[in-house]
Amino acid sequence: MDMNDPLRREEKKESAPDRTDSGPKSPDVTRPGRDNLLKRMKKVDPKQSEKYKQRTGQ
Amino acid sequence: MRKRIYGIETEYGLLVKDSEFRYDPVEIANRIKNHVFSKGLGVLDLHYRANDEPPGNGGFLANGGRLYLDMGHLEYASPECCNLVDLITYNRAGDQLVQDALEELGWSDQVAIIKNNVDLETNATFGCHENYLVGRAFPFDERENLKILSAFLVTQQIFCGAGRIGGCNPHPFRDWDGVSVEVHEDDEPVDFQISQRADHIPNEFYRWVQYNRAIVNTRDEPLSDPSKYRRIHLLVGDSNMSEFATAMKMGTTTLMLDLLEQGFAKKEWILAESVATMRSISRDPEFKWEIILRDGNRSTALELQREILECAKAHLGGSNPETDWILENWESVLNDIPKGPTALIGRVDWATKYWMLSEFKKEENLDWHDAWLKSQDLEYHNLNQQSGLYWGLEETGDAFRKTTDPAIEHSKTRPPRGTRADGRGALIKALTGSHVGYLIDWIGFRLSKNEEPFLMLDPFISYKSEIHDYLKSMELLPQPEE
Repeated sequence: MDMNDPLRREEKKESAPDRTDSGPKSPDVTRPGRDNLLKRMKKVDPKQSEKYKQRTGQ
Repeated sequence: MRKRIYGIETEYGLLVKDSEFRYDPVEIANRIKNHVFSKGLGVLDLHYRANDEPPGNGGFLANGGRLYLDMGHLEYASPECCNLVDLITYNRAGDQLVQDALEELGWSDQVAIIKNNVDLETNATFGCHENYLVGRAFPFDERENLKILSAFLVTQQIFCGAGRIGGCNPHPFRDWDGVSVEVHEDDEPVDFQISQRADHIPNEFYRWVQYNRAIVNTRDEPLSDPSKYRRIHLLVGDSNMSEFATAMKMGTTTLMLDLLEQGFAKKEWILAESVATMRSISRDPEFKWEIILRDGNRSTALELQREILECAKAHLGGSNPETDWILENWESVLNDIPKGPTALIGRVDWATKYWMLSEFKKEENLDWHDAWLKSQDLEYHNLNQQSGLYWGLEETGDAFRKTTDPAIEHSKTRPPRGTRADGRGALIKALTGSHVGYLIDWIGFRLSKNEEPFLMLDPFISYKSEIHDYLKSMELLPQPEE
């Protein structure tokens, strides 16, 4: 396996320490399905929360 | 007692989208309920169950559960289930039964059934009650145990909360009778919080279920033989859309009850002030969830949950496959929480909703309190799978599944096995379409053909063969086809 082998490059990349890591944080990724979800969200009536009038239950 | 029986009661909200719609929400709830029973999926009560539960107000279903109106809300109580998969399946079967009815009535464009716990515009709240059967000897009367359970429930919201925009002052309320009560401006504005119920729980322990709700409800109503059993009835949790969150809410709580029952729970877990801590955890915008313990030590909700998990692993691990599943997934979700909300999408409702709302807020350049964003908050809980936001995740395979659609379909009309719900389901099926008078409750029934009640005091017994013989003796069983 030489240094141009993609598997070896992947292996090396995984073992490199992340010196900029300052602790837990949200990964900066755009999730698959986000666009479909936004399409659903754009169809929601902007005023429907004002129409939701509930009685107190238990 | 090592075996458990679980149940969930869900109160639904109704969103009437069309201001000209011919019925008000209470009448819509009534008609949805009546439609379910008109399809032969259960039998309506013929007797008063309480002053506010007249004949026809509700009834038992062929799946062993119950559908009824409670304080103006449509409510479904699952049948008694002896494992988490059944519980999740029957919980969703109830959602599906009412949504099917709405669609069959032709109202799904004008009305939406919302499975949440708050009205974002007022202080109204309604519940999702959890039920756990324990032995009568369960040490529930010891105050220290109640405080330990309280600490567990207060911190459990970090993976069980359903999340909401804004908050409310817990003291003023909108009267259920429709009498308008002044709603005060909240003195601590909040953009987003992880629990829907946190603002509505002003007590640590109390037996009431309305207005003066408590973290630990102490009502003793076993709905079974009181000399053998006790029913732990909790109302602090949110209604969950996520199957994972529902399973973890019920599963981790039952392990906490095991630790209490077996004497392994630790007094070091007790919080200095439970009610205020529940609220501060829910409202923490940085999700640090700092807590102060009764002994003065400082910790976080995450660390306390880790300690309880480690104790459960040490004493309960290997008991049975379901316990191991709970432990494994409890650990998994606690490990993922520090990675941020996106690592919890499809499992934890508040985190999933937070991600969705944040993306939409960014896309449309909205403020957290914009009506459109609040409308998205509601839409997360819409049971209509064509439009509800949660269902978008199931559609793309991003929602954790604990059950299956065919199992849910099956469970709309058939009871679970392993509990008395099985026998009750057989009874309801036999009574559907018959002309025999009946009085049915969780603990048994009486038919007009016989003065003697048939008691079902042990929830672990199906009573199926005894009920079969009983119905046969009264010629109430369907005749086999030639």
